[in-house]
Amino acid sequence: MRTNSLAFRLFATAVAWVIVVLPVAGFLIYSLYRQEVESAFDRRISVLLTVILSDAIDHGENDPGVPRDVGEPLFEITQSGWYWQIKPLDGRPGKPVKSRSLGDGMLKVPSEFNIEPNDREVRWANLEGPAEQNLRIAETVYVFGEGKKAGRYSVAVAGTLGEVEASLRLFRTRLSLALALAGVGLLAVTLFQVRFGLFPLLRVEKGLAAIRNGSATRLDMELPREIEPLQVELNALLKSNQEIVERARTHVGNLAHALKTPLAVITNESREDDTAFSRKVSEQAGIMADQVNLYLDRARMAARIGVIGRITEVRPVGESIIRALERIYRDKHLAFEVDCPSTARFQGERQDLEEMLGNLLDNAAKWANATVVLKAIPMPEGYVPPMPPGDAKAKPSDAVPPPPQHWLEIRVDDDGPGLTPEQLAAPIARGRRLDETKPGSGLGHSIVADLAHSYGGRLALVQAEIGGLSARLLLPLSV
Amino acid sequence: MRVLVVEDDRDLNRQLVSALTDAGYAVDTAFDGEEGFFLGETEPYDVVILDTGLPKMDGISVLEQWRRAERNMPVIILTARDRWSDKVAGIDAGADDYMAKPFHMEELLARIRAQVRRASGHAKSDIECGPLRLDTKTARVTLSGQPVKLTSHEYRLLAYLMHHNERVVSRTELVEHLYEQDFDRDSNTIEVFIGRLRKKIPPDMIKTIRGLGYRLSQEGDAD
Repeated sequence: MRTNSLAFRLFATAVAWVIVVLPVAGFLIYSLYRQEVESAFDRRISVLLTVILSDAIDHGENDPGVPRDVGEPLFEITQSGWYWQIKPLDGRPGKPVKSRSLGDGMLKVPSEFNIEPNDREVRWANLEGPAEQNLRIAETVYVFGEGKKAGRYSVAVAGTLGEVEASLRLFRTRLSLALALAGVGLLAVTLFQVRFGLFPLLRVEKGLAAIRNGSATRLDMELPREIEPLQVELNALLKSNQEIVERARTHVGNLAHALKTPLAVITNESREDDTAFSRKVSEQAGIMADQVNLYLDRARMAARIGVIGRITEVRPVGESIIRALERIYRDKHLAFEVDCPSTARFQGERQDLEEMLGNLLDNAAKWANATVVLKAIPMPEGYVPPMPPGDAKAKPSDAVPPPPQHWLEIRVDDDGPGLTPEQLAAPIARGRRLDETKPGSGLGHSIVADLAHSYGGRLALVQAEIGGLSARLLLPLSV
Repeated sequence: MRVLVVEDDRDLNRQLVSALTDAGYAVDTAFDGEEGFFLGETEPYDVVILDTGLPKMDGISVLEQWRRAERNMPVIILTARDRWSDKVAGIDAGADDYMAKPFHMEELLARIRAQVRRASGHAKSDIECGPLRLDTKTARVTLSGQPVKLTSHEYRLLAYLMHHNERVVSRTELVEHLYEQDFDRDSNTIEVFIGRLRKKIPPDMIKTIRGLGYRLSQEGDAD
């Protein structure tokens, strides 16, 4: 899960919530429980104090009697943690009475520590008892006897806090375990909720990828009501994008038609006579024609850059162009060999592949003696093409996309005269004609190179195995 | 040779007619698709120059209809739409060649010659018939290596006969292929020019086949 993702944000929020809320809740629950346990413990001591005092009153007259019916066996076991004692105050003679559990020892009582009684005249304190036991002690002062025989006595009952603490420890352990389980469960549910909740967005992502690689033209899926408008808007955007491109293409085509016919007229007219003026007009018209071609090509490319990709199989495009070339060059009786597997699919516009293959095949057919070979090779995964020298100089446009992940090599070979090593080494430049004896504008290879660059690919010219020129085109492969 | 130019731009149309006439072709013109289709369907042309962006009926439709009507004359498409998809569409519709505007007139003339030669079954630009030799590139005729001086009408007639040598060519065919649509077909111009040609080349090379027409064949053929 990437940190910059919706899933992470939702999950991190849930974790933060769990980290803050569960301990606070645990603390509150524990505090309430502790309060309850302690108050129950105090109530128990308080009840025992009342019972012992009543018993002492019942069995004595001017002195407290020995309580007999307390009903708590722990008072009978030595150092059990539960004790009671009644002792005279104010230096009054007499033996204190106490529970058997106290043995020879005596309890420290709260009145010895100047602890104030509450509104029911009972003093409460936590004090150390026999065997270093931590005791909760309740003490009250009662006057036994009447008149001159009357005397104040301290009546105290103590219970060990170890019992309370053991109970609280057990509760703490169980509570922590329960809250931890609840936390883990909550996070698991959150994780599921995030995945489940974001699943439609993942589908949208896959749908967009399918559009990008050309296997779909629009988003068409059942989506939750909240993101359905997103699909509608995206489809509208795709449609508008396509329309803009189509419109740009139409305008470019119209502009071509509108400009080229007058240019043809001017060129032909100026060639009619041989004056300095007509030569200048002819020369300038030639420059204009080249410029028109240059900017029309750029406009076509610009119209395509950023357009959602298409997939074009190489073989049918190659075959349709070869069918045309067989007719145009039928006097040459050329043999066209096509070796293109169905996996050779160009990730790009059909028109652009037609333009590249058309120029390369036309050039090959023009120069070939007998054979033209069109071969398409899907390169293996991880293939990185070598950067040919001077390649960067041929870069036509600023908007060059990043290099493709998968490559397709298209070779167009002929058995014609080929090129010299010097010609092969020179960069492919616009208008450079490698041979002036055959018709052509000299734009063919540079148009191909420009188009290939606009897809992050390239064109290289090498010696063909069958003797002539081999034009090697590297283009993005659709996998 | 007779050429049809279907081009809606009047200036370009005029230039094409002028250049083709200078090159020795008889030229008919049309300025829209319907007129072009009608002429191509009814007249026998040796080559058609066809623009694609035409008023009334586009060039590709004109071409498709001609081919459906089994009109098989060579057609060169001349258009500003120079994308390969356009070229493939043009060739698939039945074009024989494709030229993008702006173009060099010399290149267009070379392509017209190539189409005419191809249609008459000649692979090379030089056509020979016995001692006669026609260089279609330079429009020159030599007899045993010596240049033969010809007027433009004489050249057109001899060039047609040489393209179709060893074949009987009727007078009507000659009129149809050597003169524009508005030529007076009943005149005896053909006979006059045949007579003149016979004075400039060995006279029995052009034989009159009674009731059928003329045949150019190698000197000394018995018939």
